[in-house]
Amino acid sequence: MRSPETFRIQDAPLRPLLVKELREILSGRALWTMLLLMCPLIGYSFFQAISLYGEASAAGLQSPVLAASLSPLDGVLVPTLGASYVAVTLLFPFVAIRVLGQEKESGALRLLIQLPYRSSTLIAAKLAAVLAAWVLSSVPAFSALAIWRMLDGHLSAPETLNLLFGHLLYGLLVGAIALFAASVSESAATAAIVTLAFTIGSWVLDFTVVGHPGLLEWIARLSLTQVLRTFEQGLLSAGLVVGIGTAVCGFAALATVWTPPGVGVRSKLFRSLLCVLAAAIVLGLATQIRFSVDVTEDQRNSFSVADQRALAKLAEPLVVTVHLAPEDPRYADLRRNVLAKLDRAMPNVSVRLAGGRQTPATNSGDDSYGEVEYAYANRSDISRSTSPREILPLLYGLAGVSPPAPASGGDYPGYPLAANGQVVLIWFFCGLPLCIALAWWRSRRLPEPITARFTKEVQS
Amino acid sequence: MDGVHHLASPDPPIQCNTPLPVEAAYVSEQADDQTLLRVDSINKQYADQVVLANVAFDVKAGEIVGIIGPNGAGKTTLLEVLAGILPAESSDVHWLGRLLPPSRRREAMFYLPDGVRPYQDQPVNRVLSFVANVYRRSADEITNTIQAVGLTPVLHKRVHSLSKGYGRRLLLALGLLTPHPLLLMDEPFDGFDLRQTRDIVGVLRGEAAMGRTFVLAIHQLLDAERVCDRFILLADGRVRGAGTLSDLRTRTGIAAGNLEDIFLALT
Repeated sequence: MRSPETFRIQDAPLRPLLVKELREILSGRALWTMLLLMCPLIGYSFFQAISLYGEASAAGLQSPVLAASLSPLDGVLVPTLGASYVAVTLLFPFVAIRVLGQEKESGALRLLIQLPYRSSTLIAAKLAAVLAAWVLSSVPAFSALAIWRMLDGHLSAPETLNLLFGHLLYGLLVGAIALFAASVSESAATAAIVTLAFTIGSWVLDFTVVGHPGLLEWIARLSLTQVLRTFEQGLLSAGLVVGIGTAVCGFAALATVWTPPGVGVRSKLFRSLLCVLAAAIVLGLATQIRFSVDVTEDQRNSFSVADQRALAKLAEPLVVTVHLAPEDPRYADLRRNVLAKLDRAMPNVSVRLAGGRQTPATNSGDDSYGEVEYAYANRSDISRSTSPREILPLLYGLAGVSPPAPASGGDYPGYPLAANGQVVLIWFFCGLPLCIALAWWRSRRLPEPITARFTKEVQS
Repeated sequence: MDGVHHLASPDPPIQCNTPLPVEAAYVSEQADDQTLLRVDSINKQYADQVVLANVAFDVKAGEIVGIIGPNGAGKTTLLEVLAGILPAESSDVHWLGRLLPPSRRREAMFYLPDGVRPYQDQPVNRVLSFVANVYRRSADEITNTIQAVGLTPVLHKRVHSLSKGYGRRLLLALGLLTPHPLLLMDEPFDGFDLRQTRDIVGVLRGEAAMGRTFVLAIHQLLDAERVCDRFILLADGRVRGAGTLSDLRTRTGIAAGNLEDIFLALT
């Protein structure tokens, strides 16, 4: 008589599930094809970036002032990883959809959901596989960073890690959307259309509504492409990280709701509504988190340390009224150079656009157009400048405090580098694709047909 | 209706945190007439089309029960509703006398669908090792299962390259590696020739003798007659008769009739 074991959900080991998911993603063509396509894409971007950086460095090597404007973050890292962003947007959904879509199409999902795992565990394991796929698909980008170091290029660890972290979050977000799409779609093709509607739709949002005020500005913030902007500027924003994390968890939760086939549609819709409501509440709270860290080596997102300290002590609300159209380049300058930094440095800053619906052309006759009014502690002043050198003394004057003494030293030196990029092309167009093809071939090799080995594998 | 029990008072449901009495589900000398599974009423419809109408039957521990019916009778739908992987309008199922909700069916029974080739890019041994590792099966149990279903020659082959028969054996092996006392199998002999069918019947008989219970959906009446202890005749989503071959012969008055004659008489 056989001795049965009662297998409950708590008893099931996670390792076989994770191993299965990793093997599945490695055995698919989608990941390897994406890797091969990414080689020339990232390689050419990297080549162009170091060529342009080299040209700019030729002048920078002669003049320390010009050299100070040469940052590898802007010159090399952002454009190189920008190619990775394109690939993740357009190709990674196909890799991520396969993680669930393949099982759905082959019918294996009907076996999987009977195994002693919760649906949430199954989706978490699949998200882990998506994460592993992102790491693998980033090999060309990692190799670009390694080559940059070998060429004596400078890499600031906080800047680089922050940017990679941003790309990781973006990859996970695309992966979670793909899992959700696969869970609600009957075929992988439909899931791909749904996912690309999200990712490419974000681009459309970016092109059409960014720069517009009011509701359109709020809609533009929903664009996935906005996720990376903050990281590319060298900011690690707690609110943004919590927001993306919530979106990833929200889509994963929706995938968990829609994966089990034994639950009725009405019940799934109700659970989905709960998930969306919970995610919306957390996202709403995340927008209130203002904490961020400027990880850039040149502290471009902050005023000087002395100014930061002095501004942090100004506890009264600062109201800034801007008489500029949102698409006016001066407004962009003002936001980048002054307003964004003030928002990070002072505890209570609110910005109001007075001429929100007007354009620079229609306001050419308005004398107040271009003015920025700063109101602090019942006092106000007006300036047309977009430079902190003029605005900070104005603010100290309104607050009745003396400006801090400028700190000496610590200026950003810049990192000019004129490197030969030809070798890069050989690596990305020949060497790396060959290595990837070999790894693909190795992953396709069948294990030895020896029973002992099989038994060993089972026992491990 | 033969084999259908109706109770005046509802049975207590199995609570979410209550372990299922799985051990008791295996047939023993003391309890060989115990009703393992009782289906009081399953109703399922797609839009206006009724697929299953008030389906009711029971299964005893250690039995091999065949759900018999032509294509489109609702056999697959019945198994999927029973396994809890297809929602239904009503699905009152009792496990050892206690109401078993759909969300907990997978703790008691395992369903092997028809026409599924799981993880086609993986070699057979990896697919087997996945399920075996999930249920912490010993090396001996795995070896015995592989030998019993005759998978040894194709262990190193990828699933997509298997013939239909070996694909079916793989699915059977996966089912046998699970610890569930009840296996639901959809068309388990599809793709087998006569000799292979006899071999697999032997395997199922051996498992049943060790206490495992089987509910098989079969449309080949000859195969069903070979392997099943009892039959549930299904047509147009309704149970037309249930019982052993001898019960059904008595009921239809066809003393020497085979399953085909009985099925035609009842439907």
